[in-house]
Amino acid sequence: MTAVIEVTDLARTYGKVAAVSDVSFSIEENSICGLLGRNGAGKTTLMRLVTGQEFASAGEIRVFGENPVENAGVLARTCFVRESQVYPDGFRGKHVLRAAAHLFPNWDADYAARLVDEFRVPLDRRMKKMSRGQRSSVGVIIGLASRAELTLLDEPYAGLDAVARELFYDHLLRDYSENPRTIVLSTHLIDEAARLLEHVLVVDNGSLLMDAAADDLRGTAVTLVGSHNSVERFATGRPVLGWESIGGLSSVTLTGLSDADKADAVAAGLELAPVSLQQLIVSRTRGAQEA
Amino acid sequence: MDESRPIFVQIAEQLESQIIDGSMREEAQVPSINDLAAFHRINPATALKGVSLLVDQGIIYKRRGVGMFVAEGARERLVAARREAFGDDYIRPIVARARALGISPEQLIEIIRREAAQ
Amino acid sequence: MTAIATPRVATARRIGTTLRIHAANPWAIVYTPWLILMGVFLLNFSIWHLVLRAAGDRGVNPDAFHYNGGVSWVLFYMVVVAVQAMNQTFSFVVGLGATRRDYFLGTAVLFVGLSLMYGVGIAAFAGLERATDGWGVSGWFFAPWTFATMPLWEVAVVYTLVMLFMFFGGSTVAAVFVRWGANGIILFFASVAVLIVASLYAITQLEAWDAVGQFFSGRDAIQLALMSLVVTVAAGFVGYALMRRATPKG
Repeated sequence: MTAVIEVTDLARTYGKVAAVSDVSFSIEENSICGLLGRNGAGKTTLMRLVTGQEFASAGEIRVFGENPVENAGVLARTCFVRESQVYPDGFRGKHVLRAAAHLFPNWDADYAARLVDEFRVPLDRRMKKMSRGQRSSVGVIIGLASRAELTLLDEPYAGLDAVARELFYDHLLRDYSENPRTIVLSTHLIDEAARLLEHVLVVDNGSLLMDAAADDLRGTAVTLVGSHNSVERFATGRPVLGWESIGGLSSVTLTGLSDADKADAVAAGLELAPVSLQQLIVSRTRGAQEA
Repeated sequence: MDESRPIFVQIAEQLESQIIDGSMREEAQVPSINDLAAFHRINPATALKGVSLLVDQGIIYKRRGVGMFVAEGARERLVAARREAFGDDYIRPIVARARALGISPEQLIEIIRREAAQ
Repeated sequence: MTAIATPRVATARRIGTTLRIHAANPWAIVYTPWLILMGVFLLNFSIWHLVLRAAGDRGVNPDAFHYNGGVSWVLFYMVVVAVQAMNQTFSFVVGLGATRRDYFLGTAVLFVGLSLMYGVGIAAFAGLERATDGWGVSGWFFAPWTFATMPLWEVAVVYTLVMLFMFFGGSTVAAVFVRWGANGIILFFASVAVLIVASLYAITQLEAWDAVGQFFSGRDAIQLALMSLVVTVAAGFVGYALMRRATPKG
């Protein structure tokens, strides 16, 4: 499969602070990739670098095979939407959508109109006067209706309530099915987005912590709960992601257990609990911090 | 949706269960990838992966331009496969638990007989 | 299920895109300045009539209403428009995926277009002003001071060139701020001050004040305006150089 984004040894430093350091990955075309990580981990910086809006301190970026910086051909096929988007004073929702229609060659005005209705965006209101959720809705509408071959959505549903978020997931999936493209979605609501993601990139403190297919990650970890002694006996010699104790009860999260191992655990009287993608990533990120 | 296994595996299992319990008969049309994705609210690539699993096993086949259909003999093959795996999937954990509680194999068989008689 | 393909877009169209984005909200750059200009004019007009009423039979000097600065407000407002463009529209347009080059070219075309519109528009009102003998009260608002005796086409040219100076000068200073922040601005104006003092010193040392005086007094408004064009173009180049390394906010 062709790679839409190829990043090699990418770094971005501000003075002494490295917002991004030594990052390499590639994203396949026509897939949904999750860019996950804590606030301030470097997700937004990475997206800005990939869209040529931020300048790399070191390393190479190739989007559609070319350097994206000041590259009109590449940027016309790209759409980057984020909550922190700046809007000119006095610009109303309708002005912003009009601007988007001009900037994106594949813009679908009918689709945008339908989305405006469904997300209930007050187009006549100034962007500055809109609620956080309404501003996010505008961003989401731009991200979807642009039908850009590469669409990057940075925390697109900040301020959206649960209903609006479900609406967003549904629309994203439906439009992605009918118009396949490459979507990079950064979020800290991992479990909600988990079923959308084909690939997962986890960023922590500017470096890439995990780079794997979502399916490969799911089910790699399991939590064993039982008496402290039994748990300890089972956990020795295995990589531990997390450990909690209360009274004589302990729970340990482990990776790399085979089906036989799991059966042994049950035989030993331990209970098995599944570990969600979010828990897995949180454990790994926390573990990396403590390391 | 179970957290402990890849989603595409669960999709495949759900389709298998539907074939086994008869809600999808042989030569019946299987829902399209997009429909499956929309219904389960998952990525179409994942739905495709799950269906492909079954296509590879010969449970489902594709008819170009028309859609996907349940293969002939699919149900028998699935039932046979599940029967084979039954011991590993279900009996082994029960035996282990029984052992942990101090229930002997004979007592276990008696419990099973009682349950089956109801 | 077909994958998306994106058509290639020509440079001219892309520049037009930035233009259209600026124009998406015409209030900031067209309606509001004209409205306030009319407001200031009407304010002056009312004041003239009040003064005439108060003067009564004594009347007023024939050139009482000739030295009016009201129209210059719109010239300085263009600096505000330019600063807003650098601060906000740049981040908006580049943030949504345009290149800095396309943004700069589109905005430059906008500046030229706006300058022409205002230049010709104000000159047209000046024409009306003259035709009505200063709105019936010999009041010169749109073409005060020496503008009153200049041919209308010169009025248009001078206003256009001054507007251009305000736009490009303003946006370049704003670009300095965006790039280097408050420290940059301080440094910039300090450098300008140093340059001015150095020139004054040099002129004094070379006893060249007469020459300087002759140079400026011999020039009329239009020649000065044309000289400002040199600064305007220089500001344009500097502005672009700064913009190429600027990152959009947000």
